[in-house]
Amino acid sequence: MIRRSVISLIAALILGYSAAAHPGAAFGHGSGYRQSKIDAVALEFYYSTGEAMAYQETKVYSPGGEGIAYQSGRTDEFGRYSFVPATEGEWRVEVKDDEGHRAEALIPITAEFMEGASDGTAVPVQSSLPQGADLFVRALLGVSLIFNAAAFVRLKRSGAKGEEAAGCTSAKGF
Amino acid sequence: MHISEGFLTLPSLAVGWAAAAAGVSVGLKRIDPDGIVKVAMASSVFFLASLINVRIPPASTHLSLIGPIGLLLGWSVFPAIFTALLLQAVLFQFGGLAVLGVNTSTMAASALCAHLLFGRAVRGRSAALSAAASFAAGAMAVVMGAALVGIWLAASDPKMLASAYAIFIAHIPLAVIEGIAALFMTSFLRRSYPDILNAAGLR
Repeated sequence: MIRRSVISLIAALILGYSAAAHPGAAFGHGSGYRQSKIDAVALEFYYSTGEAMAYQETKVYSPGGEGIAYQSGRTDEFGRYSFVPATEGEWRVEVKDDEGHRAEALIPITAEFMEGASDGTAVPVQSSLPQGADLFVRALLGVSLIFNAAAFVRLKRSGAKGEEAAGCTSAKGF
Repeated sequence: MHISEGFLTLPSLAVGWAAAAAGVSVGLKRIDPDGIVKVAMASSVFFLASLINVRIPPASTHLSLIGPIGLLLGWSVFPAIFTALLLQAVLFQFGGLAVLGVNTSTMAASALCAHLLFGRAVRGRSAALSAAASFAAGAMAVVMGAALVGIWLAASDPKMLASAYAIFIAHIPLAVIEGIAALFMTSFLRRSYPDILNAAGLR
C-alpha cells in the first residue's frame, strides 16, 4: 500500500515538473496566428473568353527551385490564388486545367516587396488576349501575313511553271 | 481545342510534328496557283474564328469552323490550319510552338475527315441532303477534334483519361453550334458562289 502511494507521488511530481517547465509541450504543440508582415501575391487566372479558371490545379515555383513546387493547391471559384513569397527573385505560378489549357505567371519579387515597403504593384498585368486596338492590329497583321504567304507560294509556283514552259520551248527549238 | 505547352511528352510532340509535316507536305503539293487564294481565305477565317467567343452555360468557348474549312479545302486544310495556328500562337498565345504539330494534326485531320466523309453529299444536287451533310460535317469535325485532344492528353498522362471523356462531352454543344454554322455557310455558298464548293484549284 505504502509502496503504491510512493510510486503515485513520484509520478505526480514528474508530471507536475513537466507541466511547469514546458507548458506547451504538456498538451501537444500549441498553435496561434498573426498577420504576415509580407504581403501576399494574389493572382487571378482566366481564359481568353474571359471565364475564370476556377478550381484548377496550381503550383508555385520559387526562384531557382524548378522541379519541386514551393506550394500547390487550387484556384478558388473566381480563378484566384495567392501565396506569400519567401525570398526575392522571379517566382513562377502555373495553373493547368484538365482540357489542355495552361496559364503561367512570372512574378518579380523585389527586396522592397519583401520588406513591406512596396506599393503592392509586384504583379505585372498580362492579359490572356490583347484588347481593343491591339487585338484589331494583331488580327489584321495575321490575315495580312496569311495572304502574303499565299502570294509567295503562288509566285513561286507560277515561276516554276514558267521555267518548265521555257525549258520545253528551248528544247523544241533545238 | 488548342492544347497548351507543358502537357504532352516528347514522343507525343514528335508524333504530332511528323503527322503535321506529312499532311502539310501533301496539302501543299495539291494546291494549284489558282486555288491558293481560296486556301488563304479559309486560313484567315479559321484564324479569326478563334476570336469569336461562344457562351455555352456554364462555360464559354470559341469557334473553330474546322468542318466548313475542311469541306472547302480537302487535303489543303493542313497548310491552311498550320499557318493560322502558327500565327495564333505568335500573336495571341493560343496553344504554343512546341505543340503546333499536335494541334495542326488534330484539327486538320478532323477537317479532312469531314471533307472525305461528307464532301460529295455537300456538293450534290439535293439541297436537303447537302444541308444535312453540312451539319454533320461541322459537328463531326468538332467531336473528332475533341476526341483527338483527349487521346493526346491521355497518351501523355494516363491519369488524364477521365479528362478525355469530360472534354468529349463538353464539346458536344459546340459541335451542334458549328454544325449549324457549317449548314448556313454551305447553303450561302451554294446559292452565291457554288464553284467554291468544288475543289477548283485543289487537286
